[in-house]
This record gives sequence, C-alpha cells and structure tokens, in this order.
Amino acid sequence: MGEVRSLMAPLWMYLALGAFLFATGVVGVVSRRNPIVIFMCIELMLNSVNLTFLSLARFAPWLPVAHELEPKAWMGGPAAVIFVMAVAAAEVAVGLGIIMAIFRLRDEVDVDEMNLLRG
Amino acid sequence: MDPFALIWWIVLLPLGGALVQALFGGAVVRGLGPQNGKKVMGFLAVLPVALSFLLGVAVLQAHLEAGAGTERTVVLAPWIDLAALKVDFAARVDSLSLLMVLVVTGVGALIHLYATGYMAEDRDYTRFFTYMNLFVVYMLVLVTADNLPLLFVGWEGVGLCSYLLIGFWYRDLANAKAANKAFIVNRIGDWGFMLGMFLILVCIAASVPEAQTDGRWLDFGFILPRAATYLADRPELATAIALLLFVGACGKSAQFPLYFWLPDAMAGPTPVSALIHAATMVTAGVYLVSRMHIFYVLSPVASAVVASVGAFTALFAALVAFGQTDIKKVLAYSTVSQLGFMFIACGAGVYWAGMFHVATHAFFKALLFLGSGAVIYAMAHNQDLRNYGNLRKYLPITCWTMFLGYLAIAGVPPLAGFYSKEAILGGALASRHAAASVAVWAGWIGLLTAALTAAYMTRLTVLTFFSGEERWRRLQPAHAHDGHHGHGTEMAVHPEDHSHSAHAPHDHEDPHGFFYTDEELAARAEPEEHHHELEASHEPKEAPPSMTFPLVVLALLSVVGGWGLQHWAGLQEFLQYPGVQLLPKGTIQEHPHGVPLMALSIGAAALGILYGWIVYRRGLPAKEGFDESAWHPFRRWAGRQFGYDDLVVHTGVQGGDLVAKSLWKGFDAGVIDGIANGLGVLACGLGRGLKAIQTGFVRSYALLMLAGAVALLAYMVAVLTRIGGGN
Repeated sequence: MGEVRSLMAPLWMYLALGAFLFATGVVGVVSRRNPIVIFMCIELMLNSVNLTFLSLARFAPWLPVAHELEPKAWMGGPAAVIFVMAVAAAEVAVGLGIIMAIFRLRDEVDVDEMNLLRG
Repeated sequence: MDPFALIWWIVLLPLGGALVQALFGGAVVRGLGPQNGKKVMGFLAVLPVALSFLLGVAVLQAHLEAGAGTERTVVLAPWIDLAALKVDFAARVDSLSLLMVLVVTGVGALIHLYATGYMAEDRDYTRFFTYMNLFVVYMLVLVTADNLPLLFVGWEGVGLCSYLLIGFWYRDLANAKAANKAFIVNRIGDWGFMLGMFLILVCIAASVPEAQTDGRWLDFGFILPRAATYLADRPELATAIALLLFVGACGKSAQFPLYFWLPDAMAGPTPVSALIHAATMVTAGVYLVSRMHIFYVLSPVASAVVASVGAFTALFAALVAFGQTDIKKVLAYSTVSQLGFMFIACGAGVYWAGMFHVATHAFFKALLFLGSGAVIYAMAHNQDLRNYGNLRKYLPITCWTMFLGYLAIAGVPPLAGFYSKEAILGGALASRHAAASVAVWAGWIGLLTAALTAAYMTRLTVLTFFSGEERWRRLQPAHAHDGHHGHGTEMAVHPEDHSHSAHAPHDHEDPHGFFYTDEELAARAEPEEHHHELEASHEPKEAPPSMTFPLVVLALLSVVGGWGLQHWAGLQEFLQYPGVQLLPKGTIQEHPHGVPLMALSIGAAALGILYGWIVYRRGLPAKEGFDESAWHPFRRWAGRQFGYDDLVVHTGVQGGDLVAKSLWKGFDAGVIDGIANGLGVLACGLGRGLKAIQTGFVRSYALLMLAGAVALLAYMVAVLTRIGGGN
C-alpha cells in the first residue's frame, strides 16, 4: 500500500480543507439572513465533516493507532458519512417545507424577522 | 322487663322531645297560632323531662331493692367495636349516677315548667325548648356514662347547650360575648380534662395486662379498680391525673382561676341560669371528681389543691357577692361560692358530702333563681336590687318561697342547706385524709364563708322583699334609666334587656358583623318582647301559676330535702369500690377539736343573718346607693371582683390580642410572607434577566450554539491533553 499512499496528497491537506470548509459554513450560518443560503452553509459544514471522516478512514492504516484496530473498524468513517448524507437530505426536505410555509404566510423569509419567540 | 333498662329511656325521652321541638316546633306554632301553639309545644317540652323523672324514680326503687351500694352497667348498643377497643353506649346505675339523674330530671322538669310561663312572650319559644331538652339529654349522658368517651360526649354537649342558651338572645352583642366567654373559658378546662383522660389511657389502660385481652378498657368498671392497684406506688402519676381532671372540673364548675365566665353567663334567660348555671351543669365538675375519686384518694397533693381551691373560691365569691347590685349576679357569685363548698368536701375526702350539697344546692339555688326570675318578671325586667323593696306585698308566693330558699342557703336548721353544709364542714374539720391539715383549714374558711353567705343572702332578701320602702317609687324617668344601665361595675352585660337594640338605628350591618336580609331586618325592627321601663307608677304583679308552682315544689324540697337525703343510707355508701381503702365518713355528730360543730355552724348563720338584718332592715343604706363613689372602697373593689376579671381580660384577651397582632404583623406578614413574596420577586428578577438572552434572533442562537460547541471542544481537547489521549 506504500505506493498508493505516495500517490495521494498528505492527510493534513484533507483535514485543512475540511476545517476551511467548516469555518466557511459557520460564518455563512451566522452572518447570512437568507434561510436558503443558511441551508447551503449547513450543507457545507456537514460535507466538511464528511470529508474529514473519509480522509481519516482512508489514512487509517498509516495512523499510529492502526495496530490496535481491526481492519473492519476502518469502515466506521464511510458508514458515518452515509448516515450524515441521509440525515442531511431529510433535514433539507423538512427545512425547505417550513421555509415554504413561512413564505406563504409572510411573503418573505428573512430569518431576522422570524422572532415570534422573543422573550 | 328489667327495670334497669329504663335508664336508657330516661336519656332518650328528652332527646325525642328535643327533636320534636326542633323539627315540628315552628310548624306547630305557626299552625295553631302563637297562643295555642306555644301551649302545645310547652307541654311537649315539659312532658319528656317529667316522664324521665318518673322513670328515674322507678329505677331508683329497683336500685334500692338491690342494695344502695350495688352498681351495674346497662348497655344500649355498641358504639366503637374494634378488636382492641370496645366502647358501648353504656349507662352506669349506682347511687351516684341515680342521685344526679333525679336531680337533673326533677329540678329540670320544674324549671321547664317554669320556663313555659317565663318565655311565653318570646319569638324563639321552640328554639329555647330545643336547647333546654338537648341540655337535659347531654347532662343525663354525662352522669350516666359508664366510660370516659361517653362522659366526654356529655361533657362537651352540656358546654355546647350552655353556650347556645347564654347567647339565646344573640342579637344583643353583650349576650353573644358572654356566650363566647363561657365557651372559651370552658375550653381551657376541657384541655385539662382531655389531657387527664389521655394520661389515664396511656398510663393505666396500656400498662394493665388485662387491657390486652379485654377491649373495654375505657369503662369505669375497668379503670377505677385497676387504677387503685396500679397507682398505689405511683403517687406522682395519680397527682398528675387528678390535677388535670381538676382543671376540667374547675372550668365546668367555675372554680377560682376559671370562675369568671359564670357571672357573665347570667346573660341567658333566667330559667337557663337556674337549670344550667346553678343546679346541674356547674355541678358536673363535682360529679367528675367524685366519680374519679380514686385518683384523689391516692394523691394527697391533689386533694389539698382541690380543698384549697374550693375554700379560696368560696370565700372570694362570697366577698364579691357583697359588691353586686344585680339580683342575678348576687346569686351567680353565691353559686360560685357554694360550688367552692362542694370542692372543699371533695378535697377533704368526704365525697358524699359534696354530692349531698350538689343535691340540696340544686333545690334551693334553682328556687332562688326562679324566684329572682319571678321578681324580674314582675319588675319590668329591671334587675337592680336598689330599685326593689317591700315586694312581699305584691309577690306573696314568690316572697315566701324564696324566703325558704334563703333560709336554706343560709344554713338555718332544719332546712336543706343546713344538713349538707354541716356534712361538708364536719367532714373537713374531722378529716383524717392524708392532706388533713389543708382540709381542716378549708373547713374553717368554709365556716367563715357560711357566715358571709348568710349575710349577703340576707342583704338580697331584705332589700328585695322587706325593708319598708318601695324604692322604685322614687324613680325619675332618667333615674330609672340610670339605675337600669348603671348597675354593677363590671356589668357590661344587660341580661334580659334588649329593648334598646330595637330602638337603635340600623343600617344593613349590625355590631356583630352579621349581615341581614331585608326580611330579617324587618323582623329585627319590631320589638321582641313588649315590656316597658320600670317607673315610679309601676305595679308589680305575681307571676302566673306555671311559674309559681315550681317555686312551691322547690321550696318544699329545700325544706325537707336535706333531712330526707341525710337519712338515705345509700348516699354514704355510693363510693365503695372493691380494693379501695375507704375514707372516714364525716357525720354531723362529730365534734372536732372539742367544739360542737353544730353550734358553730348555727352561730355562723345567725351572725350573718343578724348582721344583714341590722344593716338592711331600714332599707337601702345611703352608702350603698346609686352613687358608687359613696360606697365603701372595699365594697367597690369587691364589686369589681377585686380586679381579677379585669386582669384576666387585660392579660388574657388584650394581651393575647397583642401577641396575635404582633405575630401577624411581625412574623406572618414579615417573615412568612417575606419568604413567599421574596421567592416570587427572585423568580421575577431571574426571568427578567434571562429574558434578555431570548432575543428571537436566529443567528444569535446559532452563534451561541457555536460558542457552546467550541467551548465543549476546548474542554475535550484539554481533558485529552491532560490524560494523554491518542498516545
């Protein structure tokens, strides 16, 4: 497997990309007012996490703890990713439904205006 | 039929009477018209009590045939029926209970008859007789009860009826207050009685092995014999029980620390004063001490306390009686004083003498009260002695019957009071009880009090019936008013006078704090009883026969009652229980300290009568007139009960008021409410502070979540670093 690894970019680059994407998503969620964009940013965060899972799973054989793990334990990462994608899809379906309902009610979807629960 | 089973009919007949009065009385009076309706209901009120008396005589006959010293229990029905505890509606038939039954029903029937005349003008005629019959029921339950719980039922029941009847004319605030006073003071006594009862249960019923197998461990037949053996070497326990029971007796029988409700109780109608507050209910304490005498026998300390309280009360009340100008008040203090005599007997260990005096006192004191009622009736409801005089011309029957009652209470031989007082004083002076020295002292004080009794009763009788001048002739209209309302120094209560309440202007709220409907107000506005103020042209008239007949019968009893009971052997045997060392019996033949007691006693009575005659035979002395500032300071002070009532009212009522108010303002409003309100304020402030976070601003929530996530992450990293996670 040594040669395969040599063909790949090093692990830190994947992790750095994931962190960057996650940070981008966080900033988007906190700073944007359009719920659609906020959704996109949430997707970005979820996918950055997915990327981290997958890259760690792929690089597992070369991690210092590799000798303590059984080979099939490496599949935990991809499995988590499948779950995340399924949950994300469901969440989008529900979230978009809510946004549609709010739009029908108020003719606008600015999240700052949705403050009925203000104390 | 077993003649002893009749004992329950004695109790149930007046109960039926009370129910008839309560359920059908109003309808009958409305249906037949007030005149005939009241006649029918009055008859139905007297009948059951009179029948009870006849049944009582029948039971007495059976009892005497079986032997005066015997006792038996007649069970009507089970009341409490548990495995460990059985209490029955059980009546005890012995000489003690039969004596009380006969006094209650006999005197009670006469007073009921009297009341049919006395109350004839009253709107609430049937309510009155409902209470009266109910009182007789409870009193009979009290004296026939064969176990402590049933006795307590009667004890509380008579207290209730007393309250209801003192406040019978409840529209007058003073009467309502007098009723409350009686009820509340009696609660203090009941507190002691209940503690005594519980102590008996805890210490005796629980410690005696038979109590485990026999559930009837509250019966007198169980407690009394076993108490004697169990308490024989536990004198302090006997003292505690005896003293607690005596607190109850003090409350009911108006002894010194708790006597002051009785004079105010005269606010009730006069038949009530005669029946409840002179003849029967107030003797319940003496009955209780006699019934529970084993505890007193075993405790010299308690006996000494009983004797000294009795002696002090007798002397104190006799002195106070000199300062009273209200005829009923004089008799009320006289009652308190005579009850003191009975407790001297109990404390000296001559219980039979105490019960003897209960019986004779019931005769002559009921007579005196009923006679005073007839006088009040004749004098336009004016109760002030100072307005009477020479009434023998107008009220011959009342005068001469009351005169016999006066001779009886003064202790003139051979009338009733002479025998019973003789028995008490002889018993006390010859006491061989463990507390004998106290009892002897009490006996000498009793002798002094006997002289005082003769003196103040002479004052009452002479000022009312003799002494030449008809003093109400001197009355100016204003003076009459003054005399009527200014009598007595502590007399805030104007018994039997409610004309002024009818004239007072009313809005829809009265001083009781009650609210009335318009209908009730209309009823209030019309005067309840038609009577005019006493004025100079007043002509007193003798009361109707329904009122004078009981007077004659009671006068007869006052004359021969003492002689008759003295020769009833059962009276001296009624306190014998197996296993108890018998007390020496006091008899009038004893000559203590080498002094002939009979001579002393007659001498005391003669001295008192002589003094009274000399002072009052020429009419009201100038220094006892309406101007109280001219009175001798001692008499003024005596009239105010030597300040005792004021003291109690100030410390007890106003002091309690103050304590309650400060507790309310300081502790309740400050601390308790402070805690409750403080918690509320705290929650409010907390909510107001936390509300600021709840902006409703989605992105700020997101930021907060982010911060939380970062903090959590940072924490995890820190923990992992410390424990060296990831090798």
